[in-house]
Amino acid sequence: MTAPADALDPVRAELLRAARAEAEAVLGRARADADETVRLARGTAEKVLAQARDLGAADGRAAATRERVRAAADAWARELAARAEVFADLRVKTRCGVRQALVDGALPSARFAETARALLGADARITAVQGGGVTAEAPGRRLDLSADTLADRALARMGVRIESLWERP
Amino acid sequence: MSGFADVEYTGVRELRGPLVVVEGVCGVGWDEFATIALDSGERRHGLVLEVDRDLAVVQVLEDTAGMDRTGTRIAFSGTPLRIPVGAGWLGRVCNGRGEPADGGPPVLGATDTAVAGAPINPVRREPPNEPVLTGVSAVDVLTTLVRGQKLPVFSAAGLPHLELAVQIAAQATCGGEAFAVVFAGMGLTHADASFVRAGLAERSAARELVLLLNTADDPVIERLLTPRIALTVAEDLAFTEGRHVLVVMTDMTAYSEALREVSAARGEIPARRAYPGYLYSDLASLYERCGRIRGRPGSVTVLPVLTMPAGDITHPVPDLTGYITEGQIVLSAEVYAVGTYPPIDPLASLSRLMRKGAGAGRTRADHPDVAAQLIAALARSRQVRELADLIGRSALSPTDLRHLDLEDAFRQRFLTQATDENRPLDDSLDRAWDVLLTLPRSQLGMLPADLLDARQAGAQKPGEAP
Repeated sequence: MTAPADALDPVRAELLRAARAEAEAVLGRARADADETVRLARGTAEKVLAQARDLGAADGRAAATRERVRAAADAWARELAARAEVFADLRVKTRCGVRQALVDGALPSARFAETARALLGADARITAVQGGGVTAEAPGRRLDLSADTLADRALARMGVRIESLWERP
Repeated sequence: MSGFADVEYTGVRELRGPLVVVEGVCGVGWDEFATIALDSGERRHGLVLEVDRDLAVVQVLEDTAGMDRTGTRIAFSGTPLRIPVGAGWLGRVCNGRGEPADGGPPVLGATDTAVAGAPINPVRREPPNEPVLTGVSAVDVLTTLVRGQKLPVFSAAGLPHLELAVQIAAQATCGGEAFAVVFAGMGLTHADASFVRAGLAERSAARELVLLLNTADDPVIERLLTPRIALTVAEDLAFTEGRHVLVVMTDMTAYSEALREVSAARGEIPARRAYPGYLYSDLASLYERCGRIRGRPGSVTVLPVLTMPAGDITHPVPDLTGYITEGQIVLSAEVYAVGTYPPIDPLASLSRLMRKGAGAGRTRADHPDVAAQLIAALARSRQVRELADLIGRSALSPTDLRHLDLEDAFRQRFLTQATDENRPLDDSLDRAWDVLLTLPRSQLGMLPADLLDARQAGAQKPGEAP
């Protein structure tokens, strides 16, 4: 003899099945939502990461460019300073050379007086300068024929030939 | 003067401001260059402003501070200022009278040339052609700078014209051909001078730049020499050394004000707004030194920058400049106010020689059409914006609304760029296309159909409906 079947069993079973199915569906949707959220989050994270990489790379490139420019500018500034030093040295040597040449009598002192009188007049007052050469004065006018001035003028006339001091042969 | 020594004049009658009045001189002429020796051993320089019998008025470039009548000697060179010219200028930073400010030796050259120069003989001029690319979209695409052209930038106080001038000077190229920039800064503040030096350091270290900096506190007479020295150096680099040279001169309004001061010191009759009557011919004597010469390599292109006092385009300096030059790039306070750099007003700007420097074989075949269409579309956008102000946006037609979108797209995608962004021409033109394609095809009648087909096909993503 079997126990009498509960008339509500099928209903209960159906309700259970429906509830399970619904739960499965909810769970599926939740899983899908979670997957989608994770996918979107991964996508966003990848984008943020790529953006950060790009920004980092751009910052790095900018910093490298700045450093390269600064290094090139520093190198050029040092080269210019070295050229200026060489030029100053040449000027000192030229002045010494001209002084020595005048001491050695390369130019007769009378020539200075002649030049001064030719330019300023016969009554020009001529004064010998320490280091060689003369200065001459007339009212309102003056002439500098000192060794240093002559050396500087000679140096100025050399022009671009001076660049041979620092140019590669 | 003799080849052996210069006679120095000691009869200083008066020292007045930057002027020295010397008596007892003989054979001295206007604009002659003078060297002034002080008892301390210091040497200064000057220009003859006025000669009357045995009196000469010399304006001292370094001012007369510290000078006294008895210990001052003045030697005249017999000619206006001459400078050595040659490749030795490249990479150098000098003050406004061409003396080194970079710690280097004096600039040396194989020959000396008078800085006053002479405009190119018109019959020997070659018409400008081929572009100078600046890496600035609005300039390269809409107001293309052409080799041998003179194209000024019209700006106003407070606008970033110096930034733009430095950016162009730092980025400009001539398609791989030998190129150099001569930058003449006039009346710059020390902060601005420092900004220019920093912005152009790379080009300077690469020996592609000559930088002349006359600061606001330098004597005004030096400001008159600065652009002339710049152009003299540029002419030699171009026509002897065979380079394409871009000369950027900023600020020409400061130059003109210096001219006004010197003119007043000379006692000349003032003309409009107290500028001398010869302002036009003086500006022309600078601007007309650009160009190309038949049978010679190289070119000199001039980009003067000037500020319009109170934004007044009818002020004598922009007004007269506009008569001489071949177009203008106008900076707009309205565009700058919305945070756009460079704030170029495309509808007020124009390069009259653009057709000679743009197109197939020069820039890109579609360039002239794209530029013309973009300008036309922007003009329509401006009309639509004014209409929207009157009748409201909701009353506009869909096509009108697209034109408003185009204006925004133009500013955001095309015009705006960073001060250190060197945009290749292809990128600039592609951006121009992107902006244009915000309009329906019916509004792009200036573009050839085949170009539009190709562009629209390229712009559509796969699977997207046309």
